[in-house]
Amino acid sequence: MMTAMGRAQTGPAAAQGQADPRPSAPVVPTPIPLNRKLIVLDPAHGGIDSGSQISDSTVEKDVTLALAYRLRSLLTARGFSVVMTRDADGPTEPGAAGGALTLDDRAGIANHAHAVACLVIHATGSGTGVHVYRSELDATAGQPTLVPWLTAQAAWIPESQLLEKQVATAFARSEIALVASTASIRPMDSLSCPALVVELAPKGDDADSINDTDYQQHVALAIAGAMLFWQNEVQPPARFAAMGAAAGSTGSNDRTGAQR
Amino acid sequence: MIQRHQRIVFWCLVGCIVLMGVLLAVGRQRGRQRIESLAADQTPLDAPTAMAETVTLDLANDDDGTITPASRQIALPEEPNARARALIDHLIAEYALPGSPHELAPGAAVAEVFLLPLPLVGYTTDSTSSATKDGGFRPTVPVASSDPDPLQAKQPGGELAVIDLHSTFVNQHPSGVEVESLTLRSILGTLHANLPQIEQVRFLVDGQARETLAGHADLLRTYPAVDTTSSGTGASQGQSN
Repeated sequence: MMTAMGRAQTGPAAAQGQADPRPSAPVVPTPIPLNRKLIVLDPAHGGIDSGSQISDSTVEKDVTLALAYRLRSLLTARGFSVVMTRDADGPTEPGAAGGALTLDDRAGIANHAHAVACLVIHATGSGTGVHVYRSELDATAGQPTLVPWLTAQAAWIPESQLLEKQVATAFARSEIALVASTASIRPMDSLSCPALVVELAPKGDDADSINDTDYQQHVALAIAGAMLFWQNEVQPPARFAAMGAAAGSTGSNDRTGAQR
Repeated sequence: MIQRHQRIVFWCLVGCIVLMGVLLAVGRQRGRQRIESLAADQTPLDAPTAMAETVTLDLANDDDGTITPASRQIALPEEPNARARALIDHLIAEYALPGSPHELAPGAAVAEVFLLPLPLVGYTTDSTSSATKDGGFRPTVPVASSDPDPLQAKQPGGELAVIDLHSTFVNQHPSGVEVESLTLRSILGTLHANLPQIEQVRFLVDGQARETLAGHADLLRTYPAVDTTSSGTGASQGQSN
């Protein structure tokens, strides 16, 4: 009897929301599994996609990979496991075998990892210091079972906001200039994890100072330190069985207050 | 021995050749200056029958990452689709001017702008419904009212603007998170300030969906048309050191 009822509640009929004459049990939100020792790094671009031209001799894809290498080493030394969406440049010929991952491929890798943080690494020749962006999506009260691909980040917005604060604190402590903002950058909105875009800008007026190894190490150290605090702070959102249960938007501060 | 009158003719011919050379050089110089002045002034021609009116352009600044409103006197067409397109054309033309704080390549940016009433209504071929009238087609709304899908109007008369960009403009756009985001926010804010019935905006490139503007900013999502100036709610920006 229990088995049959359980099957009835989780079967296709229940999933499709068909009318059931029996009184249904209240839907209990379940926490989303999270590996607190795992971090996803996505060095943006690669292969045929060079990204922006930072200077005459520097392209974005090389800077993002260099920073990701440094960050991976520092995170591993602190006991984290690191998943990188790419760890080489990739073929530079269109249509070559083993070509570059699409943005959706990168999001898929990150979402399967259930990581405590997903950092999408970019680089730019404009401005100085580090620019940190989180998603522009409105926060939702939880994550539905069927996650909309283009708005998967919505349930994680409050956590991403807190992660942004944690990273901003670490940069302030390290005296690194920071600009924090929101943006809609592929594939961040499709990530179901606390996610940030970390964009490295030159140290000073010279665009080539972005390749300064001491500068990159300084930035990577600040991020790795922030992750140590973050792994104990993060609280994954609840997962709801029905999509409608998560439809209502809520202020991120309210939810944050309820969790902490 | 060359005779005197032959020498006179010879030097007259030489003088004419020099004079023609000078005239040719001056003419070429004037022509080049005229072409350069035309290339620098990319401002679209105003509609001949419309009166100039005050519009607000939300202008981006790459130096500090801000969007600030600026008033301009522009003659715009009455038809809303053409009006939206002319607004964006004027906005991009501002960025193509020399010394622009958000420099973009000159040229036509927008192929077309389509304004669609919200919510979007589709048609099924379900002829079993009693509501069937026009040859077996029944109007349906593709999203349920409880769905958080953004294709719902917030106010009666709300519209979705579909902006079809030229690939030449997109391919020449500078690459970078901030510069791409500023272009999109500038367009969204300008449409919101001048055409308040536009609630949401989608972007196409040569009629096709495209993932990003120049490798960073998302072009697949539907953007809300909101106030994107630095004091507006749509743009949250902080700085610390």
